[in-house]
Formats: sequence, structure tokens, C-alpha cells
Amino acid sequence: MAVEKMKTVGIVGRIADMDRICRSIVLNGSMHMLNALSEINSNYFKISASEENIEAIEESSHIRPYNASKDFGKDEQIIKSLNDIFDFQPSIDAGSIGIDYDYAQLINAMKEEYDAVKELWDEIEKKNKLVEEKKNYIKNLSYMKNVDMDIGQLLNLKYLKLRLFVISRESYGRLKGNYENIPSLVLKVAATDDNIIVMSVAPQCFDDEIERLFTSLNYQELKLPVGYSGTAQEIIEKLTGEIKNILNEIKGLKEQVQKHRGDISPAIKKAYSVLMLEKKVEIVKREAAMGKKLFFLFGYVPKSKVKRLQKELWDYFGSRIILVIDDAPVKEMAKSPPTKFKNNWIIRPFEALIRMYGLPSYDEVDPTIFFGLSYMLLFGAMFGDLGQGFVILLAGLYLTYRKKSASFGGVLSRLGGSSMVFGLLYGSVFGNEHVIPALFIRPMANINTMLILAIGLGVILMTISFLYSLINNWKRRNIEEGIFGREGLVGFLFFLTLIFTAANSYLKLADIPLSVLISIMAVLLLLNVFKEPISNLIKGSNRLYKEKITDYYTEAGFGVVETLLSFLSNTISFIRVGAFALNHAGLYLAFETMAEMINSGFGGALVLVLGNIIIIGLEGLIVFIQGLRLEYYELFSKYYSGNGVEYTPIRLNS
Amino acid sequence: MDAVRIHGAVATKVKAMESKLLSNDDYLNLLRMKSITECAQYLKEKTGYGRVLADVDVDTVHRGALEGHIKKNIIYNIDKIIHYYSGSYKEFINTFFAKYEIDDLKDLAREVYKKGKIENYEDNVFIGKYSKAEPSKILAAKSVGDIIVALKDTVFEKYTSHLLDDNRRENLFRFEMALDMAYYSILQREWGKLSPEDQETIRYVYGTIGDVLNIQWIYRGKKFYNIEPEILLNYTIKLYNRLNFKKIKELCYEGSLSQFLDKARQTYYDFLFKNDETIDIYMDRRMHRYLYYYLQKIDQYTKMNLINVVAYILFLEFEARDIISIIEIIRYDVPEDEGKKYLIKNIH
Repeated sequence: MAVEKMKTVGIVGRIADMDRICRSIVLNGSMHMLNALSEINSNYFKISASEENIEAIEESSHIRPYNASKDFGKDEQIIKSLNDIFDFQPSIDAGSIGIDYDYAQLINAMKEEYDAVKELWDEIEKKNKLVEEKKNYIKNLSYMKNVDMDIGQLLNLKYLKLRLFVISRESYGRLKGNYENIPSLVLKVAATDDNIIVMSVAPQCFDDEIERLFTSLNYQELKLPVGYSGTAQEIIEKLTGEIKNILNEIKGLKEQVQKHRGDISPAIKKAYSVLMLEKKVEIVKREAAMGKKLFFLFGYVPKSKVKRLQKELWDYFGSRIILVIDDAPVKEMAKSPPTKFKNNWIIRPFEALIRMYGLPSYDEVDPTIFFGLSYMLLFGAMFGDLGQGFVILLAGLYLTYRKKSASFGGVLSRLGGSSMVFGLLYGSVFGNEHVIPALFIRPMANINTMLILAIGLGVILMTISFLYSLINNWKRRNIEEGIFGREGLVGFLFFLTLIFTAANSYLKLADIPLSVLISIMAVLLLLNVFKEPISNLIKGSNRLYKEKITDYYTEAGFGVVETLLSFLSNTISFIRVGAFALNHAGLYLAFETMAEMINSGFGGALVLVLGNIIIIGLEGLIVFIQGLRLEYYELFSKYYSGNGVEYTPIRLNS
Repeated sequence: MDAVRIHGAVATKVKAMESKLLSNDDYLNLLRMKSITECAQYLKEKTGYGRVLADVDVDTVHRGALEGHIKKNIIYNIDKIIHYYSGSYKEFINTFFAKYEIDDLKDLAREVYKKGKIENYEDNVFIGKYSKAEPSKILAAKSVGDIIVALKDTVFEKYTSHLLDDNRRENLFRFEMALDMAYYSILQREWGKLSPEDQETIRYVYGTIGDVLNIQWIYRGKKFYNIEPEILLNYTIKLYNRLNFKKIKELCYEGSLSQFLDKARQTYYDFLFKNDETIDIYMDRRMHRYLYYYLQKIDQYTKMNLINVVAYILFLEFEARDIISIIEIIRYDVPEDEGKKYLIKNIH
């Protein structure tokens, strides 16, 4: 339950094997690629000096990027057309393809298949176009339904020409403003939202002028069919009949095409899979560094997957390949290792919320378990209700299994479950507090206790955050922040003393004079102020300050004020957990009162149902957000940076 | 009260931004520069253009690129203003980008029409700014038709797509006109959503702009292209202040150029047609200079109104035009006193 360990894997192979090696990597699907060129240049990539490695070492000093990129556009087009023609859903079958195939041959076979059906298909396309054209005529003619005359005759006149134009309302206004100067009969036949459709009848000899005139009005011409007679309605009917005939012909042609269908299906599927694989291979190659005879690839592989990759590559290529496998060091690499979450199913959905803030970096403890548990706790405490929690649980399950939204659905169902547990503790079902007994406390009856408990919970959660921060700083060997920093040991001790002082003055836990406590805190604050010079002294570095001394102390001085303020405010911030628990009960109380005011059983019940819906929807949302705020702001700011890069291995299905 | 809510903050901001416009002295200094490099250097070190020129190497920058950077200053400043507005006001300010983008699109269309490809585009910095079109697609165009295709799925599609199916002739002129009409229709649509007070001033000012553009169009159409009156009229802009549709129509239907000039000299805009010989040289300058001082006056007497912002943006635009003129003046060695006559701002 943490961030998965990564290994660096360097691969050196012969360029002749390059295609096949890259294919194996993609099919294996566990390598997160890095740019080999920059890794080799950063001097991290080292090959042990032995006899079989001599060639590789020699070549690693004369490398260049891979830049012979392939264009798959045409091949893709062919396969896509075939899939369209035969109505196949493109699907990848990784199992059957292997790495020893001849790509060009496969694609050529597809080309032949395509050419075989192309003629028929073109015929179908042509007929489809004809149908479109005729449909368009029908649409255009339908604007002229109100023109009660033989349109066919008008369209076939020798000396006059009928045309149909669409122009904007604004242009129509201009046209109207200048009717007297236009050499054409213009009739408005229909109108749409923005546009006016006008019919123009003008002598043939004026056609150029008409064209120019309407051009200046930004026209669009609607084409009308030639060679028909009758009114618009009659022509439309004729056209409809024709369309029907053509559609029948298309159907016949399609049946002919489908005769090929059964035989070709597996071949297309394979070609499609191969094409997808080749495209991924191209992505792998782009990260390669090329020597004269050898090429270099570099990437991260999770520790648990290294063995399989190693075995697969060795099985295929044996001694023709050199593998350099090493633990991922954090600092020496050009790019730090990627993060892969590794959590059990209970808290896995919460990874999505962590991702929203930022992924843990490789040298950071994965906060998901603490985040998940504390978030459930906070949500439940603020929204404790057996019935409403159950509704949220159901909603979460619905999202998970019906809508396939595993992360959000998962979060919701877990929060719902937590809410139900707290519902039992608070004795609340759908807001009603009279049905079941409270196992722990009734919030409304113990307001002060609730608020104090909330702060207590906050202190506990913040303490855990400090522990996380200490571990993270330990992992980074960061003395300055880990020991003297505000989120380090000094800060932690200061926080504990502060809390103790506050608690002591209220509860009289121990007889320590206030002055002693204040001096302890003062010393701790001073240590924090001088963190940079002190830690530099310890490390023995000869420069005490990175920046100007005055700048440093101004900043540190304000830092003290901020430390004081933020520790106080962060702690008090948790009071909202208690407040929302109260709020939850209070809101229901308001609806209950309204329900009683309505003197009808049915009306009252309706108000209660409505109230519950509002509480679940509105307050549920608010509590969701407030809980997230406590996590992100009050807690994450203590220990979590979230600067990680996601582990995205190159694989076929993604 | 509402006007204060909408314009209060931005009015202050714009006043501050106006103070960064070039001063009379800046103009004089620029006019005395000997080369484009010196000019770029001055802009970079001494003026508000320092920000957009920060990463520019003044020694190697050439004219087209420099003009592009100067135009980027307009984008930079308008973007700043836009943050202060929301809703319909934001949309309205955005129409400036529509205008500039259309200018650039027309520019590129002309280039592709002449050469069959687009080579010089460094100064066309507005492409995609309003329409959100992919600039690379437009720059890859081999014909005006390709540009229209590249504008698919943008706001301009509606205004230009019909030019495609009509393949009688691929017409640069039609494309330019369709885009211009698109701008005015977008503009009018957007100002319809403003508050009544803002609409009133905006309509008034744009009416004046429409007047000068219309009268200029009719003059040029008659003198250089011999366009028929109907078509002249159809291409006029429907923005009127002193010259309403009726007067514009009369001007369009004047038989000869001299009759037109007689009539035009009786209008309020007679200053555009002073002295037969200089009409063409100075027409643009006269038009812009008139608008420049006209806007200054309105800006001064109107408070808490969108026109203050509009005026500022137009000042920015005029200034960019002037700088580009100055660069040309320097390049073609025009004497300083002669050069001043081509500037919108009256330099003394």
C-alpha cells in the first residue's frame, strides 16, 4: 500500500531487430518510456565494461535521435473503409498477432480486399449521393409549396430564368430598400429564423447582373431540379418515388458486398490489431537513441513486472540484446521515476481525489490510506445518518455498476457506508432521532461536547500529518525542513506544546508554569527562524544563506507570524466537523417543524421527503466539499507535495 | 449605480493604461530613428511595448515580425480589460478580436490568392483569437477555399460556408465582403445585449464610423472599380449617424464621380474630399484622424460608459497603425515633416 517500486530498464539491441523488440515491449505493456537520448546524455545510463558490451559502449557516444517517422494515414484509411463497408466494430486482438509478422504484406492483402469491393462500394456511394441530391431538391422545393403554379414550366423557360436564393433578413431589408432598381421579379416565398427565401425571375440576359447583385447580398442559391413538370408538391412526389427506387438498388448492391463478409472478418481484425501495434511501436521508437548498428531504449518498469519483461525479451532475442536493469535512483536521473498507486480495494477509489490534487512523487509516502480513512471519518461525522447514508451508498453502487464510474461511485459508496455507521452512533434515520437509540452521542443534545470532540479529532489528524511529513523529509534526507522546518520536528513539537498549553489552561493536566511553556515555544520558533544557517552548519556547507541575509530574515520573521496563525487556525478549522453534525440535525428540525405546521398527514410527509432530498443533495454536497477542504488545505499542506508523474506504460490497449 | 458596478473598476484601469500610450515626444523620437533596429530598441526600452518585445532580439527583427509584436500589444491589453468584464460586456469587447481576426484573414486570403500559398504571416497574430480556429490549418491553405474549409466549426462558418458550394468562381472579393458583413452582424448582435445607456453611445459612435466608411467605400467604388450603384449600396454598412440610408442611396446613384464629389462636399464629411489632388493620399489618414479626435472628445465628456473602454482600444489600434507607418516612413527615408502627415495623431 504505497507507491510501487520502479526499476530502470535499458535495452540495447541491433537495429535489424528494432521493430520486433519494440513490438515485444508494447505487447508486454509495462514499460514507461523515457527519452533514451537525454538519459544517455545525462550520464546516468551506464553499461558495465565487459567484452560483450564493448560495441554498445562504443556506440553510446555517437548517438542521434530516431527520426524516420512513418505515416500510417493511408493504411488506416483502408482498414477503416473496410470496417465501414462490412460494418465491423474495430477491435484489437492482441493474443493472435505475435511479433513475427510482415506488416507490408498484411496491409497489401487488405488493399487487395479493398480493391475487390471498391467498385461496388463506389457505386453505392454514388447512388447515396444521388439520393442526397434529390432530398436536397425536395427540401428546396418545399419552400415553394405556397407558390401555386407549374414550377416545372417556369424552370424550363427559354428567355426567363427562375432562381431560388437564401439571404439574411438584413440583406432582404436592403433588397427591399432598393426594389425599384432591380432588373428582376423578386418574390418572398418563405422565411426561417434568420433568413428569407426569395424567388427571382429575370430575363436570361440579365443573369450575370442578378448573380452580381445577389452576390453583394451574400446569397446562397438553392438548387432546383430540371426536367420536371407540375407544381412544387407534384415534383416532390415524383422525387420521393425516385428516391425509393434508388434506395432499393442500394440495398441490392449492399447484399452483394456482404457476401464477402464472412471470409474476411479475421483478416481485417488481425490487420487492425497490427496497425494499432505499429502505431504504438512508432511511439516507442521516437524515444530511442540510434547508433550505427545498435539502438538504445530506456524506461521505467514496476519491480513486480521486470521479471516477465526480461524473460520475454531473452526468450526472443537471447544474446542479441543487452538489458541493463537497476533500481530507480531518484536524483541522478534526468526525469524522476513515475508513480504507480498500489492500494487495496477499500481505499482505491480515493486515488481519484488524490489525483485531483496531484500524484505523490516517487520519494513520497502515498497518502491514499490516511486520506481515504480520514475522509470517510470526516464525512461520516459531519453527515451521520443511517437512512441518508444508505441512499448515498446506493447512489455510489449505481454509479459503479451501471454507469461504470468506478472511482466516483466508489468514493460515494464508501462515504455512504461511513455515514451509516455514524448514523448508528448518533441515532439518526432520515433525520429522525426517535426511531433508534444513539450508540454514542446525540449531537443536538451535547453541542459543546461535539465541538470539542471535533477539535480533538483535528489535533489527532494533524498529528498524523506531521508524522507523514517527518517520514517524507527523512526519505529525502532533508535536514533543513525535516528538523527545523515548520512542518518538521521543530514545527511538530511547537504544535504539541501549543495544544498542550491550551488544553492545560482549561483542564489543568499538570502543574507546569505558563512561562516555561512559552519559553519552550519561543526557543522552537527561534530554531525555525534560523533553520537555514543551522542546517548549513550541520551539513558543513560553507555558505550559510542562499539569498541576501536581510531578505532571509524578513521572510523568516513573517514566517513566525504565519506559523502561529496557521497552527491555530488549522486546528480551529476542524470545529466545522462538529458544526456540520449539528447543522445536519438542525436542518432536519426545520423541515420537521414545517411538516407539523402543515396540518395534513400527506402534506407533512411530502415536506419531510422533500426535506430529505434537499439535505442529501445540498448538505451532502457541502459536506463533501468541506471534508475535501480539510484534507487538501489543513492536512495536505503539512506533508504532501503531489509533484509526481503518473506511470503510463506503453501498451496496446490504451 | 449599475453603470458604476459595471464600469467602475475598469474605468480606473483603462485610465492607467491610457497613460502608457505613446506621447508626442515618443512619436518625435521614433520619427528621428535611422533604422528599424533603433526603432525596435526604443520601443523595447522606453515604452509600454517593452513587455511584448521582451524576448525579441532587436538587431535581427525584421519588419513583418516587428509589426506582429506591435499588434500583440493590442491582444495583451484587451485581454487585460476583458478580465474586468463578464457576460455580454465580455462578449462585446471580444468583438474587437473578431474585427482584427477578420482583417488578418482577409490579408491571408489575399496572399493565398496571389501566391497559391501563405508565406508571410508573422504579422497576422489574431488568427484564431476570436474564432478559435486552428491557426496551423489556416496557414496551410492553398486557396481561399481552403481557408473557408479551415473555418468550419467556428463562428465564421455560418457567414462563409455558402461560398464553397458555389464553385462558379473562387472569389477573393466575395470572401472579403462576407467576412466584413459577418463582423458587422456579430457586432450588432453583441451590442444588443448591453445596457441602454451603453448601447446609445456605442450606436452613436459606430454610426459615425459607419458614415465615414460608407462614404469612403462609395467614393472608391465609383472612382477605381466602377461598381454599379445597386451593388455599391448593398455593400454599404448598415451603421448610420449623419448619413442615413436615404442619403447613402442618393450618393450611390449619383451618375458621375464629379457629381458624387459635389454632393459629398455638401455633407458633414466634406473634409475627406478637400483638394482634389490629395484626396486619395490622405483619405485614410483624414478618416482616422477625424475619428481619433472625435473619440477623444467623446471619451472626455462621457463617464462610466463602455465608450471609454472602446475609445481606449481604438486608440491602441490607431497607435499600432501609426507605429507601422513610422516603420515604413523610416524604411523609405521619408523626411520627418513629410512623414508626420501620414500619421493619425497630429504630431507637432
